[in-house]
Amino acid sequence: MTAALQITDLVKRYPTGTEALKGVSLEIGAGEFFGLLGPNGAGKSTLIHCATGLANPTSGTIGIFGHDAVGHYGEARALVGLAPQDINLDWFLTAAETLDYHGGYFGMAKKERRERTRELLDAFSLTAKRDESTRTLSGGMKRRLVLARALMHRPALLILDEPTAGVDVELRLELWQYVQRINEEGTTILLTTHYLEEAEQLCSRIAFIGGGEIVAEGTSQELAATYGVESLEDAYLELVGRKELARGHVSEIGA
Amino acid sequence: MSAAQIRFAALLRRELSRFLKIKRQTIGAPLLETFLYISVFGAALGSRIDELDGIDYVVFIVPGLIMMAWAINAFSNNAASILQQKFQRAIDDQLSSPASPAELLLAFSFGGFLRGMLVAVLTFTAASLLVGIPIEHPLVLAPALFLVGFFFSQLGVLVGIRAEQFDDLSFAQQFVLQPLIFLGGVFYTASLLPEPFETLTHLNPVYYMISLVRYGFLGITDTNIAVSLGLLTVATAGMFLINLRLFTTGYRLRA
Repeated sequence: MTAALQITDLVKRYPTGTEALKGVSLEIGAGEFFGLLGPNGAGKSTLIHCATGLANPTSGTIGIFGHDAVGHYGEARALVGLAPQDINLDWFLTAAETLDYHGGYFGMAKKERRERTRELLDAFSLTAKRDESTRTLSGGMKRRLVLARALMHRPALLILDEPTAGVDVELRLELWQYVQRINEEGTTILLTTHYLEEAEQLCSRIAFIGGGEIVAEGTSQELAATYGVESLEDAYLELVGRKELARGHVSEIGA
Repeated sequence: MSAAQIRFAALLRRELSRFLKIKRQTIGAPLLETFLYISVFGAALGSRIDELDGIDYVVFIVPGLIMMAWAINAFSNNAASILQQKFQRAIDDQLSSPASPAELLLAFSFGGFLRGMLVAVLTFTAASLLVGIPIEHPLVLAPALFLVGFFFSQLGVLVGIRAEQFDDLSFAQQFVLQPLIFLGGVFYTASLLPEPFETLTHLNPVYYMISLVRYGFLGITDTNIAVSLGLLTVATAGMFLINLRLFTTGYRLRA
């Protein structure tokens, strides 16, 4: 079966000389809910940017459902939806226009765009804000719109780059319900998050990335076993070299 | 419509929508500016200058003002639109879509081109109500205006891609573009100037553009029309190819 995302020996070196990715190889199967965890600056966003055309890989290959993300970018990008870490809405558009234009960029016909826009505005509780400029939306509303935009063209691979950073509990729960449902319906999901309990609950497999390399990969239980610890959180703290922060260790100190 | 046609239409609609939403700034202000030039230089000062090359002074300056309106608006629209989108990273929504570098470039190009054309047509219409503006050589005027509009549209794209802050745009427009246009013979002919200014004016490429447009409207010129058209075609094609290369490599657009 063709992998949703197949990355082989991916290197990304910036003009400054910084090597953000040092030969990353990763395979995410179709239909998986995959978590990519790592500290800030580990290379998560760079990997995502390379896969979505926002960064040019220095070397290596990226396949999206068998399409080369560089050589056949049109076919590859049509299958990917990206909700980036930073809000990047167009100030000149309303909420509804944001979705409509995005659908247009992905070649959706007018009628389909209209129906999908209505459906997503409703799903993300944005209907009342449909004609408001993106500039005047609250932070939470902007985040909802970014997520709705990523889903507009019904991507087969949805990439969520820290989608719940700074959002309220209500949106977080709504979002997870929504993405779990579309994952069950067949959408592959790649999630980066700093909330380890989210990754543990949602992801069938997780990879740790650190210093531009994939350092461990498996289920949360497998990752804990790899590091010889009890939980995913403890495994993560081992990865970042801060095992003194592990809850058991902290409570021992407290006692 | 094919997916590619829908995509291009959406990209272009976005560009048109941007300047139409702020039409006081993008259409109204340039029109007022041109009207003031006609009033001050044409009606007020022009009463002291009888004729230039056998043409009423007010009529003499209108072709240059039309060209200037098209050029500056095409340039500033594209430069500002690209830089604003880079600032907000809203351009990532387009860069991560299946749109090709040529589609992106053409959409940005025609955004500014059409804004320039709109201001130029309104300028022509307004000027025609005040004074009679002949069109002596429409077969020269049409390609000349198209090439001038497209050239400055490409220049705007180039500056927008290279710019890192709005000061870069102001510098290009206020310190390079406007002096070249003002000293390119909008308000006079080179033959009126003493040396070395006459020779210096002949070194200004904008002088040949204004001469072409003035010839198209009024039938007077002191330059070789065929050579000017040929050089302008080559320069415009060259600018387009440079920008296409920048979009293809992702220079200052993709990391």
